[in-house]
Amino acid sequence: MSKRTLLASAAVLSALVLAACGTTEPSGPAATDEPSGEAVTVTDARGVEVEIPAGVEDVVALEWVAVEHLQTVGIVPVGVADAAGYVDWSGTGAPLEGEPTDVGTRTEPSIDAIAALAPGLIVAVAGRDEGAYADLEAVAPVLVLQGADAADPIGTMLADLRLTAEATGTADAAETAIGEFQAHLDEVEDQVEEAGLTGTPLAHMDGYENGGQVEIRPYAKGALLPAVLEEVGFTNAWPGEGDPQYGLGISDVEGLTALPDDAQIIYMTVGERDVFTEQLATNAIWTGLPTVQAGKVHRLPDGIWLFGGVSSMTAYVDAVVASLAPAP
Amino acid sequence: MTRVRPGGLALGAALLVALVGLSAWHATQGTTQLGVTELLGWLAGEQGNTAVIVESRLPRIAAAIVVGLALGAAGYAMQTLTGNPLASPDTLAVNGGAGAAIALAAVFGISLPGIGGAGLAFAGGLIAALLVVAIGRGRGSTTQMVLVGTALALALQSVTTVAIILAEQETAGLYAWGVGQLSQNGIGTVAQLLPLVLLGIAALLLLSRRLDVLALGEEAATIVGVGVGRLRLLTLVASVALAAAAVAIAGPIGFVGLAAPIVVRLLVARIPGAGRHLVAIPLAALAGAVLVVGSDVLLRAVLPASAALDVPTGVVTSLVGAVCIVVLSRTIAGANETESMTVLGSRTMARRAWVPIVIAALVLATLTIGAVLLGDRMLLLGDVANWLGGRAGDAVRVTLDTRTPRVAAAVLAGVALAISGGLVQAVARNALADPYLLGVAGGAGLGAISVITLAPAAVGWMVAGGALGGGALAGALVLVLVGWRRLGSLRLVLTGLALSAGTAALTSMLIVVTDPYNQAKAIVWLAGSTYGRGFEDVVPVAVTLVVAVLALTWMHRDLDLAQLDESTPRLLGVRLSAVQVVALVVAVALTSTAVAAIGVVAFVGLVAPHAARAIVGARHRALLPLAALLGGTLTLLADTLGRTLIAPAQLPAGVMTALVGIPYFIWLVLQAGRAR
Repeated sequence: MSKRTLLASAAVLSALVLAACGTTEPSGPAATDEPSGEAVTVTDARGVEVEIPAGVEDVVALEWVAVEHLQTVGIVPVGVADAAGYVDWSGTGAPLEGEPTDVGTRTEPSIDAIAALAPGLIVAVAGRDEGAYADLEAVAPVLVLQGADAADPIGTMLADLRLTAEATGTADAAETAIGEFQAHLDEVEDQVEEAGLTGTPLAHMDGYENGGQVEIRPYAKGALLPAVLEEVGFTNAWPGEGDPQYGLGISDVEGLTALPDDAQIIYMTVGERDVFTEQLATNAIWTGLPTVQAGKVHRLPDGIWLFGGVSSMTAYVDAVVASLAPAP
Repeated sequence: MTRVRPGGLALGAALLVALVGLSAWHATQGTTQLGVTELLGWLAGEQGNTAVIVESRLPRIAAAIVVGLALGAAGYAMQTLTGNPLASPDTLAVNGGAGAAIALAAVFGISLPGIGGAGLAFAGGLIAALLVVAIGRGRGSTTQMVLVGTALALALQSVTTVAIILAEQETAGLYAWGVGQLSQNGIGTVAQLLPLVLLGIAALLLLSRRLDVLALGEEAATIVGVGVGRLRLLTLVASVALAAAAVAIAGPIGFVGLAAPIVVRLLVARIPGAGRHLVAIPLAALAGAVLVVGSDVLLRAVLPASAALDVPTGVVTSLVGAVCIVVLSRTIAGANETESMTVLGSRTMARRAWVPIVIAALVLATLTIGAVLLGDRMLLLGDVANWLGGRAGDAVRVTLDTRTPRVAAAVLAGVALAISGGLVQAVARNALADPYLLGVAGGAGLGAISVITLAPAAVGWMVAGGALGGGALAGALVLVLVGWRRLGSLRLVLTGLALSAGTAALTSMLIVVTDPYNQAKAIVWLAGSTYGRGFEDVVPVAVTLVVAVLALTWMHRDLDLAQLDESTPRLLGVRLSAVQVVALVVAVALTSTAVAAIGVVAFVGLVAPHAARAIVGARHRALLPLAALLGGTLTLLADTLGRTLIAPAQLPAGVMTALVGIPYFIWLVLQAGRAR
């Protein structure tokens, strides 16, 4: 290493420093437009009192269910975490409105991207660590939704929707949506009864394949899906237990023999990775299940978020009824 | 023919009996209430339960046995081949390659019916191992191949982690598979791979006479006329094929290929005639099968059947294997011998050490400024000036408020890990030693993740405290298990490796059991992320660094002597044990606080001191400052790239250190090989 090299590096360095001078924002005090009207204070799922300026418009959603709740009350989020994933996994049940900015993954959304949107409110779902909330709160008030609770799945979903509405001053829209949702469930319940399907045991399950191994995750008591299905007259065929938040169980193929003989199996996946038609097609336990032999296995259309809100659940029950009792 | 003496046969018979007994017990366990009565009924001709028994119970037993046989035999052969007890499917990157292949398939939505998925794992494992061999072959010692393999395995693990982070939805279930699961979708996979496994074991047995000679040393083998090159190649192909077949069947089941052969090596050393490969390889295979079947039985006996699905078998084999290795490292031949530092070349002090140090400092300073400016949102120096003066607008203020602590966390944690690695290498006198391999980082990670999962509202100091507790516990455990006087021995590395695998297994279990649907959070954290860090999270590591620098200023000359050998420092009046213990305590504190600040970052502690030693030699006065600067630079670079490359999505720094550091590390290993 010679002195010349050192000098050269120093020269390059100072050139870079000079080039990087300047600012990316207009100088002078930033024009902060004071919001008109009173601020709203709500208590979120953390038990934290969140103060939100009245009539907040620019909202960022860090979970897909939050996107849906916001859209339900008429607010189009300006920023959405993993927007492409939303379209794939949730876009049929509750199509993405507007053209929100992608703010990164649902696990580690980009603070930079969110700050650049200068939102008035950030809606998240419980489960992130405090450090992340602290960073987000420097940008805008953070409203944390509960997301799921196996003790009262539908109640939790509606409470989250109402909380979103309260925070954004759109309580009327939420009540209208909830009213429509309940009316729709009643309608579907009638359809189910007309079709003679009342009391049909349904088992909704996810199937994963990794390296040829098959893992089944059935939605047990306490999960949102079976709760909604019970509302319209079906029963949950899966006898096992689920976790305390999402009500999700776990099983291997052998465990599926616990299903009652008259059960119907429903599942959703995205794309070609379909465990039930690919990996299980040659499995004698699977093909020997009375349910499977009777052809009572139904794949729902792609893109209904199974942990979503009222729109997703409406699309879900409609899809279930449509696949069980095809229109004549 | 080789004469088999009764001792070897007796051991084989004992293992076989154990295997049969465990398998019978295993057949009665499952997610349905199908027990002994039903099994006996089926044997007597009842048809009712045939599907469950034939498609679920028997395939799982068969998988456990075949995987165990394959891994046991492969591990034994790999260890003879490399003359290194650390060689195993894990360290030759077979498992890492298979995991990465499966992860990529999941991300791109590729689903192959039948055993296609297993075939993918096989291909991935094979390619990775061949890459290790292609890079490491004929370039000096076999330790280098293990080093290259470990590095590549880490890189491939990072690929898997990236896939899980970016495609959380598509890779559901992959994390559990990646730890090693025995569930089978029918007998197909096992049936198709069984011939390959039998062929592989048969090939090893055919080579066994020549392996006996090779075990005596390469020179002896050449004199006797054994074609060493060809023998190596054949053995390698056979053992890699075995290991890849095992991954294809059950995912990366950890530690069996390392533990079973070591157990057998220890036992056959005491039985006349059993040390021959013709006897020992089948024994290792049987031991592997007993280990895998036994672990699965244990898992299902202790936990309810459905919970046992959540906790992959690989977790248990890793724990069992870890205990085995810890116990055996106390008695295994050669484990107490000290390794030399020469593997990666240690010149003495370079003549003008200050030049590279100054340059490294300049580079780090430049990169730090760059890191503050770069990100999802690019800034200019004027913005920073405004921010410092409190005149910045909201967006810039928030961006810098969150970005600067992350930059600080990356630099300080990198510095801490590098110094820690330098200290551990000096104490252990071993090129493979680093805080990660010694289990300290793993212990700290386990401590921190326990606090995070069990106390959901935990922040800052609590996490740091958990990490420090876990790291200190792991460090103390290593010291107690190894003994004060054997800090410079291979036993230290073996024990540390075992602890590292054990803590990794427990961490996985904790994640899979407590939060199976939110694994991404824990994975991101464990992969070494600066996300959401505030200055308060950085304080513990900064404080520790100050203390460490003071201590090292005072004791750097003693460290220079301590890394030479056991006797020189004592002759010169240095209290060797005291120096070693203080160095280790400092190393543990540095690693733990760094882990608390940014999670488990695996590579910095290994690569930074090596690089520094290659540049300025082995004097700690020059080595440690340069290592610190290089470590800070590497971590900072990784974090900055992780934040910017695919913005607004981001990748954890730990993943990026692996991807950034490994090419350099492999180059370093090869350079050292050429210099020989």
